[in-house]
Amino acid sequence: MEPYAVEVNNLHKRFGHIHALRGLSVQIERGITYGLLGPNGAGKTTLIRAIVGLLRPDAGTVRVLGHPMPDKRLMARIGYMTQNIALYEDLTVRQNLAFFAAMAGVVSRARQQIDEVLALVELSDRADSRVRELSGGLQRRCSLACALVHRPALVVLDEPTVGVDPQLRVQFWEHFHRLNAEGVTLIVSSHVMDEAARCHRLGFLRDGELLAEGSAVDLLERSGCATLEDAFLHFAEQVAAVS
Amino acid sequence: MAAIRIATLARRVILQLLADRRTLALILIVPILVLTIAGALIRLEPQGVRVAVVLDDTGVTLSVGSRGAVNLGERLVAGLSGLNAHLAIERMEPDTAAALLEAGEIDAIVRLPADFSAQAVRTRSLTIPVVYEGSNPAVARLLGPLLTRAAIQAIASLSVIDTESVPEIVLDATYRYGSAEFDQLDYLAPVLIGLFVFMFVFILTCVSFLRERLAGTLERLQATAIRHYEIILGYMLGFAVFALVQALVILLFTIYGLRVHTVGSLATVFVVELLLALLAVNLGVFLSTFARNEFQVVQFVPLVVLLTAFLSGALWPIEAMPVWLKPLAWLMPLTYANFALRDVMIKGFGLVDIGPYLLALAGFAVLFVLIASLVIRRQAVS
Repeated sequence: MEPYAVEVNNLHKRFGHIHALRGLSVQIERGITYGLLGPNGAGKTTLIRAIVGLLRPDAGTVRVLGHPMPDKRLMARIGYMTQNIALYEDLTVRQNLAFFAAMAGVVSRARQQIDEVLALVELSDRADSRVRELSGGLQRRCSLACALVHRPALVVLDEPTVGVDPQLRVQFWEHFHRLNAEGVTLIVSSHVMDEAARCHRLGFLRDGELLAEGSAVDLLERSGCATLEDAFLHFAEQVAAVS
Repeated sequence: MAAIRIATLARRVILQLLADRRTLALILIVPILVLTIAGALIRLEPQGVRVAVVLDDTGVTLSVGSRGAVNLGERLVAGLSGLNAHLAIERMEPDTAAALLEAGEIDAIVRLPADFSAQAVRTRSLTIPVVYEGSNPAVARLLGPLLTRAAIQAIASLSVIDTESVPEIVLDATYRYGSAEFDQLDYLAPVLIGLFVFMFVFILTCVSFLRERLAGTLERLQATAIRHYEIILGYMLGFAVFALVQALVILLFTIYGLRVHTVGSLATVFVVELLLALLAVNLGVFLSTFARNEFQVVQFVPLVVLLTAFLSGALWPIEAMPVWLKPLAWLMPLTYANFALRDVMIKGFGLVDIGPYLLALAGFAVLFVLIASLVIRRQAVS
């Protein structure tokens, strides 16, 4: 088995005159939570879309679970939670889950897996509510459940905790670590630095480039800073000084 | 303060619209486009009515006065020719006339038998046999009074049958297709059925696919194992259910509610409606990918619906259209549906007879599936 869940090599992507990814390379081991950190516009979502197979890069390669992307067969093994909620509001929580489970080819075991994931995000009692009737936080939980329902090997979450209250945020991170323990790899993007400490490894992203990479402790040590925020600024200045 | 708020709000609306170039273009270009085509169509000269005359009348020799041989049939035809600019009268052999009528090339046959004149003199009445093609009731409305007028003139030119008694004039009308009871609605109903099915299905898909895209669910869907053509086919199948029910309701209401005459089989009409609906689903998906917001998608509706209604021969016959519009008419899928629906409902044609039109509709449906798949593929992986 390949040691890496995701291997991104020298990835370039331009949108008109914006150079969103500038030769970015990153390798993500299996079974860890990898945090992509950076300000808005750093290229986090573009990188994520390339990893889940929704983006054709101008140059470079993306391999997921040992296979080059985009590959439709592989997409059934990826769970993707977009930045916005992206659910069918007219349908119930259970109907949404059943839909996305079926899209990943989970049909016969769907009911059991749906019940499990509902328990995981603590939505069992709202399973038959329409998504429209749920509060923002509950909708986000449902959205996360849709990304997990087919038991993917790689879960990609684009800013999963935006607009989520602190208590739920803690619950989310508990889920993520439980998944890691089962061998699932998670990629989580965020621009909130205090979340970063919860990831096994971090990638600091800015202007489509990887500024630095390592565990939180490692990054703090190398930068000599007390907080990840300062560490980010330190590496950003370092790169600016070199160029 | 209120004035400032109002002005600020107005300014914001203007800025928003100015920023949305596509809507701006649609606001300005759609009306011009639609008006240009509508203008050209509304100015169309009424389409010529082509009438074949089979003149077998051998005339009659009058003993009274010095007139000698008289041929009432010839006089009638001569009189008829000059009555209306849109009426084209041609003398033909019976077989030619019958064949042309069958092919829909001519609108009516007036057949004056050998004893036409003799009969008139003997019975003091004039019976004119007319066979109408029948798919356009307007022909009978135009031709009927003209024939009567021509007949009166023809008779009046004879002193033998003069003012003392106005002879009776009888139009013995028969119809190849339809009947005298067919009114304008009967003629229009087939195309209205087609237009409604097409319009409603198109609007429904166009808007709901846009919603899928704006809500972000399409992006999420595309990140799953589903392939692009599967998305299109799934959409098609889902909407087909509603399209099916709607098509059925429209059809049944037209026939039983509005009491529109139909000669053909309802099942055949339904097949045409179904093909049309499937095609409209894909057109909706395809066009909705060009809209970035609800504003734009709403503007596609009149563009597509009005152009289709105008150009498909639903309201104006294609043969009478200006040369530059004719190719456009044949690019409209609804054109083929209209021909098929008229043939079935007015002429009683079966599935085999309208085969070419069904093939054309199926062709459009397949083409739109392919285009829609390609378009969402390009949008998905950018």
